Amino acid sequence: MGSSSGDLRYELSQNAYIKLVLHSLNHPTSSVNGVLIGRISPSNDAVLIDDAVPLFHSHLGLLPQLEISLMLIEEYFSAKGLNIVGYFHANERSDDYELGGVAKNIGDHICRYFPQAAILLLDNKKLEALKKSKDRSAVTQVSSVYIGNYNHESL
Amino acid sequence: MVTKTEENQLNRLESQVDNAGGGAWEYLCLVRKLKLRRSDKVLKHGLSILNNPSKRSALGPEEWTLYEQVAVAAMDCQSLDVAKDCIKVLRKKFPDSKRVGRLEALLLEAKGSWELADKAYSSLLEDNPLDQTIHKRRVAMAKAQGNIPGAIEWLNKYLEIFMADHDAWRELAEIYVSLQMYKQAAFCYEELILSQPTVPLYHLAYADVLYTLGGLENLQTAKKYYTSTIDLTGGKNTRALFGVCLCTSAITQVTKGKSKEEKEGSQVQSLAAKVLEKDYKQRAPDKLPQLTTALKSLTLSS
Repeated sequence: MGSSSGDLRYELSQNAYIKLVLHSLNHPTSSVNGVLIGRISPSNDAVLIDDAVPLFHSHLGLLPQLEISLMLIEEYFSAKGLNIVGYFHANERSDDYELGGVAKNIGDHICRYFPQAAILLLDNKKLEALKKSKDRSAVTQVSSVYIGNYNHESL
Repeated sequence: MVTKTEENQLNRLESQVDNAGGGAWEYLCLVRKLKLRRSDKVLKHGLSILNNPSKRSALGPEEWTLYEQVAVAAMDCQSLDVAKDCIKVLRKKFPDSKRVGRLEALLLEAKGSWELADKAYSSLLEDNPLDQTIHKRRVAMAKAQGNIPGAIEWLNKYLEIFMADHDAWRELAEIYVSLQMYKQAAFCYEELILSQPTVPLYHLAYADVLYTLGGLENLQTAKKYYTSTIDLTGGKNTRALFGVCLCTSAITQVTKGKSKEEKEGSQVQSLAAKVLEKDYKQRAPDKLPQLTTALKSLTLSS
């Protein structure tokens, strides 16, 4: 599954997608977030997102836990040749489609280290539909995850 | 707060009930007592009791409490028909009850008819102006509609009257944190610590907020509260241990170039680091290398 934005393509692996969906579904009553792990493809035209690490489901706006998690995650994955390439966020309310201040700041921070980072905001209504649909193919179909390329230059 | 024994008991009952091993009523009672939000399980098991006439009559007068519990759980899971049926039964049994009136207003809220729900709550409040749950429902409605400043306003008004409601202070603090209004969140946690100084959760959250605010004084205070959390939890709280390390390195970064010497600080940090390493060795030995590198980078930047 991929999505294009400007010249760069983003490919979200099934592993990463399932992890971020499951994390959101596990905490239906609070906002959740997490980071995306991956690398730039050898041909330099795509960002391959191989894995996702769910972070929090409470107190998303607090710094200490975020700093430690990012440190440890960076350490762990750089040994495997992967970087933090993005951030995913799901809002608390089902009709909230805005990327809040916290998400923007964290996205900002990640973009500083990886300029082509992708920020994913989950579509809560589609998540809910996912639970009710018995169709297996729905899990891998694009559940319209809004991908906003938070480009550092645009700030 | 849920104690460890209660948590174990809950998990045991939950797995027992999920595997059709009986004990549904005890599970539901425990959930009700601890005020937990396990709506899908409550709905499933509660309905299984209610739909079975023999089990239902075995409950006696507790039957109505179960109807109420299932109604609320049904609304949380958006099974509004189930909720409507439960409320109808309750209304037939208790025709003049305010408690049922509250459930009916809650149903309006669940349907999304905000104005009707608001009217219902206002009329209920006229009869009983000191009903805490209804005040809190108003806050919840504002939050659900996305009107966060309105929710904050209602919650502040509520807290002016009911200053001892700890859950409300916590909710307010969390709303402030989500809006990045850290100073106000700090104030809420201060109130909580003043009224319940032995609850480590508040010390920890307060320290987190202070660290996020930044600035030398806040960092020093944050470190004090992380250490008090460690004190209150007997050194088992990983977040507080990490917090101490982060604070020390941040403080030394801020005071770099100034002539202050923080010898004491490095002692606490090295102690915390040792405890963390021991903990990781025991519980997650394969993550130990990452921890050591992270801790080293924290101490190196000092």
